[in-house]
Amino acid sequence: MSVAEIEAVDIQLEGAPSGLWREAWSRLRRNPVAIIGFCLVAFFVLVAILAPLIARYNPNPAHPDLAQVSPGHAPGPSAAHWLGLDLNGRDEWARLIYGTRFSLLIGFVAASSGLSIGLVLGSIAGYAGGLVDTIIMRCMDIMLAIPGLLLAIGIVAMLGPGLWQIMVAVGITNVPIFARLLRGSVLAQRDQDFVLAARAIGVRRRGILFSHILPNAISPVIVQGTLAMATAIIDVAGLGFLGLGPQDPSTPEWGTMLTQVNQYLQSDPLLAIAPGVAIVLAVLGFNLIGDGLREALDPKLRGRV
Amino acid sequence: MLRFIVRRLLLLIPILLGLSILVFAWIRALPGSVAQSQLGERATPALIKQINHQYGLDKPLPVQYWDYLKSLVSGNLGTSISSFRPVTYELGHRFPATIELALGAMAFAIALGIPLGFMAAKKYGSWFDQTSLVASLLGISIPIFVLGIILKYIFAVRLHWLPSIGREDILAVRPHPTNFYILDAIINADPGALWDAIKHLILPSIALGSIPLAIVMRITRASVLDVQHEDYVRTARAKGLPPGEVDRRHVLRNALLPISTIIGLQTGLLLSGAVLTETVFDWPGVGSWLTTAIANRDYPVLQGGILFLAIVFVLVNLVVDISYAIINPRIRLS
Repeated sequence: MSVAEIEAVDIQLEGAPSGLWREAWSRLRRNPVAIIGFCLVAFFVLVAILAPLIARYNPNPAHPDLAQVSPGHAPGPSAAHWLGLDLNGRDEWARLIYGTRFSLLIGFVAASSGLSIGLVLGSIAGYAGGLVDTIIMRCMDIMLAIPGLLLAIGIVAMLGPGLWQIMVAVGITNVPIFARLLRGSVLAQRDQDFVLAARAIGVRRRGILFSHILPNAISPVIVQGTLAMATAIIDVAGLGFLGLGPQDPSTPEWGTMLTQVNQYLQSDPLLAIAPGVAIVLAVLGFNLIGDGLREALDPKLRGRV
Repeated sequence: MLRFIVRRLLLLIPILLGLSILVFAWIRALPGSVAQSQLGERATPALIKQINHQYGLDKPLPVQYWDYLKSLVSGNLGTSISSFRPVTYELGHRFPATIELALGAMAFAIALGIPLGFMAAKKYGSWFDQTSLVASLLGISIPIFVLGIILKYIFAVRLHWLPSIGREDILAVRPHPTNFYILDAIINADPGALWDAIKHLILPSIALGSIPLAIVMRITRASVLDVQHEDYVRTARAKGLPPGEVDRRHVLRNALLPISTIIGLQTGLLLSGAVLTETVFDWPGVGSWLTTAIANRDYPVLQGGILFLAIVFVLVNLVVDISYAIINPRIRLS
C-alpha cells in the first residue's frame, strides 16, 4: 500500500467532520452512567404522567381512613396499602406517586426560571461590559454572599409559605450562579475570530450575541442546568421539610411529607424512608445526566469518540 | 502581598453595604408588621402607633436605614421579639453550637475524603475507584435532612447507640464558659461531659458532612491524578525516593492546593445545611433559631441572624482567597 493509499484510508476512517453536538451525543450514548441517569429521569417522568394509573388510590380522599390511625401511630404496609397509611389516613403509595408530579414540576420551574433570568443577565453583562457589567455583577455578588438556602428561606419569609413561593425562591437563588457562568463564557467567546468576522461584515450587536456568541457559550449552561435541576429538587424538598412548602396539607410534595417525621419515625419508619428514597433517586438521576453531559461536552475530549 | 490583601478588603465594603441594604429592604417587605405580631388581637391604632414609634418605624426610610447602619456598626442587632433577649446575646450562645457542628462536619469530610480520594486516584480505573465515584455521586444526591432522618432512625431509634437530639444530656447541669461544649468539657476537665458532647455531635456531623465528603473526595482524586504525572514526581521516583515518601512529600502536598480552596468554599454549604441539620437533630444553633424566628415573625432575629451568617460567609471566603494567595504565588502576581 502506498503512502497515499494509507492516508486515504486514514481520511476515510476519520469520516466527515462532525459537529460538537453530534460528537457529544455519541460520547453520551456510550457512557453507562449517563444512561442510568436518563433511565431514572425517564422513569420518574413516566410515573408523573401515568400517576392516575399507578396510584391505585386517590391521594386526597374525601373520606380518609381515619379509623385505622391514631395520633402518632399509622398502620404499616399491607396488601391493600403497599406503603401503609399516613397519619391522616391517606394511602402513602398514592401520595408518593402523585408527589412525583409536584416535585418534578417545582424543580423544573425553579431551575428553568433561574436559568433564563441568569442567562439574560449574564450575557448582557458579558457582552456589554463596562458599567452595565459592573452593576449587574456586583448585585450578583451580593446575592451570592448569602448562602443559598438562607436566601431561599428569606424570600419565602417575604412571600409567605406556599407552592409557587418556593419555586420563586429556589429560582432566584439560581440566578446569580447562571449569570456568572454565562458572563464568563460570553467573555471567553467575545474576542474570538468568528465574532470579529461577524462584526466586520456588519452583523448587528443583538445578532452577534444571539446567533454567534450564545450558541458557543451554551454548553456549560446545559451541564449546570441539569445539575441545578438536581439541587432545585433538594432545595424545594428542604423548604418543604422546614414547613415552608405548600400550606394546603392535601398537596403531596415529597419534602412536606417528611415535615412531621418525628411523630412517626418510631412507629412507622417507612413513611419517612419512602419519600426520602424517592428524592434521592430523582436527584441522582439528574446528577448522573449532568456528570455524563459534562464529560460529553468537554472540548478537551473532542475527537475521542 | 499587602496590596492584594488591601484590595480584597476594599472590595468587601460595597458587598457589605449592599448586603445591609438588601437585608434592610427585605425586612420592610415582610408581610405583617412588628406591631401586629407583638400586639396580636389587642392591636388598637394608638398602641400600633406607640410600638411603631418605639422601634423608630414612623421615621422616613432613609433615616431608618441610617439608624439601622449606626446600630449595626456599634454591634447592636436589636432585641428578639419572642425571647426579649438581645440578638447578640442569643448569637453568642447559638453561634458556637453552629461552629461546633460545622467543624465536626468538616473534620468528618476531610478525615475520610482525602484518604479515600487519594486511594481512588492511586487505584485509577479499579473497582474501588468506580465504586468511590458512584458513592460520591450518591453522596451529593442525598438531601441532608433525609440522611439525618435515616441516621437518626438507625442509630438512635433502633440501636440506641447515640442520642437523637440536642447537644448534651437534657438532665445535665454543667457550666459553659465558652458555649463550645467540647472545649468547655476540656476546660472543666470533665471526661464524662466530653464524651457526652462528642456523642451528641456524631450523627449531626455525619449528616452535614456527607456532601462536603463527596466533594472533597472527588477533588482529591482529580487533583492527585493531575499531579502524579508531573515531571517533579517522576524525578523524585527516578532518584530513588521510597514510594511512600514521594506520595506524601510530592504528590499529596501539591494536590492539597485545590483541595484547600474547595474546603473553604464549602462554608456556605455548611451554613445552609446547618439550618436543616439543626432542625432534624434539635441542635440549638443559629439555623434552628432562624427557622423558629420565621414562624414567630421575629424580625430582629431574622435580620440579625441572616446578616450575621452572610458576613461570616463573606469573611471566610476572604480568608480562603488570601490564604490561597499565600500558598500559591501565581495568584498573587496576576
